[in-house]
Amino acid sequence: MAVKIENKNGLTVCYVEGEIDINSSPSIKKVFDKLISSKTPKIVVNLSKVTYVDSSGLATLVEILKNMRSYGGRLRLTNLSSKIKSLFEITKLEKLFEIMADEQDAISTFA
Amino acid sequence: MIRLGPLGFLKNHKEASRRTELKIPSETRFIRKVSNAVLSKIVDYVLDEGKIFDIKLCIEEAVRNAIVHGNNCDRRRLVKIASWVEDDNLHIEIEDEGKGFDQSKLVDPTSEAHIFKNSGRGVYLIKKLMDKVEYTAGGRRITMVKNLK
Repeated sequence: MAVKIENKNGLTVCYVEGEIDINSSPSIKKVFDKLISSKTPKIVVNLSKVTYVDSSGLATLVEILKNMRSYGGRLRLTNLSSKIKSLFEITKLEKLFEIMADEQDAISTFA
Repeated sequence: MIRLGPLGFLKNHKEASRRTELKIPSETRFIRKVSNAVLSKIVDYVLDEGKIFDIKLCIEEAVRNAIVHGNNCDRRRLVKIASWVEDDNLHIEIEDEGKGFDQSKLVDPTSEAHIFKNSGRGVYLIKKLMDKVEYTAGGRRITMVKNLK
């Protein structure tokens, strides 16, 4: 698992690679905790290179969202594979998250 | 005495070769070994990636629950895994050495009251993605079935 962070159009874009599961979740949380502690207002997370997410991974993403909302921050998830998107649909987390098909759209419409 | 014809013998032999039996200590680093072992026995089934993903996820969720909630991550306690194929159905049985749990106390993780909570999604996903799920031995054993055709 790896997370690469870039600044695009004044937004923080995170590229997560690999699996988000019980073993990698603590490292992912650590990366986002730093962004949250500096109250990063808007984060786009590109999941195009994420091959697997389990319930621990979903819980980690929910926690990141919850922590961002506590200071009015916004989080967008983009480029989910059809399988990972279906996990968000089954668990109804799609209603909680802003999920967009394309990173460019997520950035350009992030008012 | 049951006499098996040549096809019956082949079917039994094939099904026996797909059997997996494992015992692991309660450490999460062993979770992937379990899913790999089970999936390696069904490689001759032409499964789409989505089905493989579902089986892998459900095995790993159930083993994780057995390790974390069943055995409280006590590595002296074991998790027993058995899987087999019968009539193109994959059966996976996972048993811990914990106190078991009351299924009726499971909450709906998709409800408004629980959607932000961290627990409950594993069992929920298993029930949604597997064809049949049964808890026995007071909740210490889960048996999941997925059709492979």
